[in-house]
Amino acid sequence: MGWDFAGGLTRFFKSLMVQKRVIFALLMREALTRYGRHNIGLFWLFAEPMMFTLGVTALWSATGRGHASQLPIAAFALTGYSSVLLWRNMPGRCIGAIQPNASLMYHRNVRIIDIFMSRLILEAMGATGSFLVLTLAFNYVGLIDLPEDVFKIIIGWTLLAWFGAALAITLGTLAEHSELVDKLWHPASYLMFPLSGAGFLMSAAPPAFQKVVGWIPMVHCTEYIREGYFGSKIVAIHNLGYVLLVNLILTAFGLLQIRVIARRGVLSD
Amino acid sequence: MHDVVYPNDGVRLSRFRDYLSKLKPSFWAIVVIPTSIAIIYYGLLASDVYTSDSYFVVKSSQREKSVTGFASFFAGEGAGGSTDEVHAVEEYLKSRDALRDVNKDGLVTNAFTRSSISIFDRFGKLGSDSEEALYKYFSKRVDSTYDGGTFVAHLKVQAYTPDDAFEINRRLLNLGESLVNRLNQRSRTDLVRYAEKEVDEARARAATAAVALSTYRNKRGVVDPEKQAAVQIQLVTKLQDELIANQTQLDQLRQFTPENPQVSVLQERVASIRRQMSTEMQKVAGGAQSLAGSVAGYERVQMDSEFAAKQLASAMASLEDAKNEARRQQIYVERIVAPNKPDAALYPKRLKGVVSVLLLGLVIYGIFQLLVAAIFEHRQ
Repeated sequence: MGWDFAGGLTRFFKSLMVQKRVIFALLMREALTRYGRHNIGLFWLFAEPMMFTLGVTALWSATGRGHASQLPIAAFALTGYSSVLLWRNMPGRCIGAIQPNASLMYHRNVRIIDIFMSRLILEAMGATGSFLVLTLAFNYVGLIDLPEDVFKIIIGWTLLAWFGAALAITLGTLAEHSELVDKLWHPASYLMFPLSGAGFLMSAAPPAFQKVVGWIPMVHCTEYIREGYFGSKIVAIHNLGYVLLVNLILTAFGLLQIRVIARRGVLSD
Repeated sequence: MHDVVYPNDGVRLSRFRDYLSKLKPSFWAIVVIPTSIAIIYYGLLASDVYTSDSYFVVKSSQREKSVTGFASFFAGEGAGGSTDEVHAVEEYLKSRDALRDVNKDGLVTNAFTRSSISIFDRFGKLGSDSEEALYKYFSKRVDSTYDGGTFVAHLKVQAYTPDDAFEINRRLLNLGESLVNRLNQRSRTDLVRYAEKEVDEARARAATAAVALSTYRNKRGVVDPEKQAAVQIQLVTKLQDELIANQTQLDQLRQFTPENPQVSVLQERVASIRRQMSTEMQKVAGGAQSLAGSVAGYERVQMDSEFAAKQLASAMASLEDAKNEARRQQIYVERIVAPNKPDAALYPKRLKGVVSVLLLGLVIYGIFQLLVAAIFEHRQ
């Protein structure tokens, strides 16, 4: 075949190790520059999203926002808003991530994908940590029960994180072509928030609305996470195959864009 | 293999071989092999699937609860579907009960274990043939959906021959209908049974009260003490009139002709009238056997009897209401589209399947290549 498989594999793992070190170093650098070592330091990573979720939960509980289901509002807000944080913060961090780190690229081994990956991992950790800590805390206080099927939550959460990451890379690279992406993302993310399944259950929505909202990938993940969390108490409507397809296409597109940008040369301008 | 190779062909063939050998193993693993498997499966192995559809609404002649204001936007108009029952039917069609009822004579088991079905699709060939597995298998091939906008429910059955699909669909629909009939029967008997019980009780009470009344009449020898007393008093009044007239005449005679022999006659008459009056008065009032004495007891039994009669009437009326209500609450399955017998297999979508596998493979391969390339960019 003319292809040195064993040799390729060793080279691959060596490179993977290098990349792991690079991403970890970037991650620590990012975390330290963002949160510093003073007061609670790295804990801000969880605390920031936690405060958001807590605030929204408090608001929804106080206004008694109707969501047409028997679920306690705290549980509804927790699953919904944590999911929003997961997919919304990743693109936010990745848009405009390259320029501030451009100087790092003088190192041969620091690549655009490493910058993205370090930020994505950091965001995913933050959102996941916040979700985890709040779930346990709410459960300790007696606001909500523990999830019924943790495995489903993990699957839904992973798919959602993947979607967030793919979207982040796509938007982050597109933002290098045009500033418009940055400008449009903020309103778009706010508009998507109520449509993303955070504030409603699909089964409670009118059929015509369901059909439209069904095109939004986050909805399916949120529904699946809720199904895992509340199990038999709700009827969840989801199509994970669709999410998978969107994720694959977005990922391919995003990775391709990274190459395009790397070719063009970030440092030249 | 090729003893005589035309130069042109040889070049073309070796070029193709070159091209193939240039493909990386990952491309084989991610794109070529899955696509080949898909071609073999869809081209040769997958059995034709026939789909039988039917559409129905579950209607209730009951008027919807009147909703006012904003909510009426969503409530729909009176003659709409009855959602509770349609959900009951929908759930039932997907249930183990439905499977058991359809499969009473082995229809489902036969339909899905035909030897003409490829072993990848045949039931119990590559997996367990337990009840639970049959239910899972059956659930994948039967689908009922309900459109809340149009109130139409859709029942879809897939099988490997047109007849099986049709027969299973037809039976499921019939079972759904009998479920609705059962629900009807239940609600009707429940409603009417209570009303009937009430009527029976009221009737018994009315009969007892009537018997008590007649017993009392016989015992006291009165029919209606008040009316009888009125007649009696009238009699006494007449006697009183007569007494006054005679007394006056007697007084006159005594005044003017005391020696008149008529005086003693009149005296006797007056005394007689007085005695008569006293006995007649005695009958009306005074003493246990008088009419006044009977009135209290008579009124009690009489009122009992009247009350029981009224109760009976109202119980009869509510029974009539209940019957009407039960008639109105009738729900029924209305078939819009009867199950069809498909004459062509719509599934599997063979070309679509192969193309999806190919495209998906290409996308995954692209991601894989890009990731590997990105990793390889890191060197020591």
